[in-house]
Amino acid sequence: MNRWILDHSQAMKDAWKRTSDRLTPFVVLVLLLGILLALPGWLAQIWLGMATLIPEEVVQSEAIVFLEKDLEAETRIDLERILTEMEETDQVVFVPKSAALDALSAEDGLAPIADLKSNNPLPDALRVKFSIIAGEAKESQIVQMLGSDDRVLSLRYYPSTRIQYASLVEMLGFLGIGLSALTIIGVLMAVFLVSAADVVDDRRRIELYTLLGASHRFIRRPYLYRATLLGVLAGLSACLVIVILNEVLSSALASNLKALDERLENIPMDGRILFGVASIAVLASWVGAERAVSRRLKALH
Amino acid sequence: MIEFERVAKVYEGQRAALSNVNFRLAPGEMAFLTGHSGAGKSTLLRLILGLETASSGVVRVAGTDLATLSGEKLARYRRRVGVVFQDPNLEDDLSVYDNVALPLRISGFSESEIPKRVKAALSRVDLSEQAAVSPRVLSGGQQQRVGIARAIVHRPALLVADEPTGNLDPELSARVMRMFTQFQQLGVTILVATHERAVVESLPFRRLVIEQGQLVSDGMGASR
Repeated sequence: MNRWILDHSQAMKDAWKRTSDRLTPFVVLVLLLGILLALPGWLAQIWLGMATLIPEEVVQSEAIVFLEKDLEAETRIDLERILTEMEETDQVVFVPKSAALDALSAEDGLAPIADLKSNNPLPDALRVKFSIIAGEAKESQIVQMLGSDDRVLSLRYYPSTRIQYASLVEMLGFLGIGLSALTIIGVLMAVFLVSAADVVDDRRRIELYTLLGASHRFIRRPYLYRATLLGVLAGLSACLVIVILNEVLSSALASNLKALDERLENIPMDGRILFGVASIAVLASWVGAERAVSRRLKALH
Repeated sequence: MIEFERVAKVYEGQRAALSNVNFRLAPGEMAFLTGHSGAGKSTLLRLILGLETASSGVVRVAGTDLATLSGEKLARYRRRVGVVFQDPNLEDDLSVYDNVALPLRISGFSESEIPKRVKAALSRVDLSEQAAVSPRVLSGGQQQRVGIARAIVHRPALLVADEPTGNLDPELSARVMRMFTQFQQLGVTILVATHERAVVESLPFRRLVIEQGQLVSDGMGASR
């Protein structure tokens, strides 16, 4: 155990020495990787931040289904049941024409209501709230089905902001995933190349250690510690860049969001993103260095 | 200690670096391996150190066929061998003491054992006073002695030296050779590759002459 601690502390010292010997390229690499990782991280931050921020009703579409006049109660209840049982709907509320008249009167100041009450021109209606799991295609399918139903006089469909911007959101999602994958590959490649170059630089030293009986694990250790340090620092700088971007740009984003819905406020920082970005930085650096050093050691011998 | 049985080494697309090499070095024996540059000396040493594997034939050290070793086993085998290079290959960032302690740390010696062994090794090569300094401030001869101390610090049963006096003047060369002789008297098997005829002929040890990859002569030094 004592030996194990000594070996590892020696490897850490060695890693630190290598880092301080080549400090400028190391700092440049940290900043480069930090910025590289911050880009998809920030996109994910906007994504998740908005998801937690937006009230559920904003992302739920609605349809007001006006029913044919003189529709029998049983037929109406049957339609109500069919809609309620659909997993794409969240809520189906029957709005009798009297309630609709009251609401209309309150909203538009129509009067005298008493005159209209005896001869209410409005139809009964069903208010259908779609579930947030219903996609654009499913919602339009249901709207189409209701439009061609004999029991329905007409309907009004109010697609949610999510549905209105579905294609844009989907495109941004793919862009974010693609960018994240490219970034991770980029980080892996950058660390791989830097570690491989380090091993080439240290070729003489590695040969000496090999001849003295050092195992590959022993030789690899300082490089892996250095990569871990690189990953930790790159992850921290990425987190810093994300926090700064969020601070600087969230008000501009929020004003745009408010144009969509006034309930939308500033985008809050999501801790999961920072944790994820930092973990990816450490993991990608470690894997990149491990692969580079192992391949080089194999090639050397 | 070392056995070569019909050993050949052919690098891809090149002529044979070694062909049909047969010899045996007994435990505690010292021998010189001589030959011109490119004759195959380094290849032979690399085979002994497990840095290459023979294309055919068997290389055995202390009864172990080196072709059967790999990974951790090969590393463990190398920990039992001492190596001296023409260029001592010292780490300038480490002190003389730490350079000598390196094989012990790699082999996992306890921290209480390391100082005793390092001091003993440095005293053998008369460098006890220089333990704390960087190898950078030492002369070529002193650096070579540090390299020798590093090669013997873990008390190997086999010491392999590749042109150990190549960069030294005749007086220092003689001193280094005297050290090897002392180690041999302590029971260490020693194989010294050199192309310096004066060094070889001044000492009464076995001489293996290699030419174009073939062992052409195996006999005692001229002065004996």
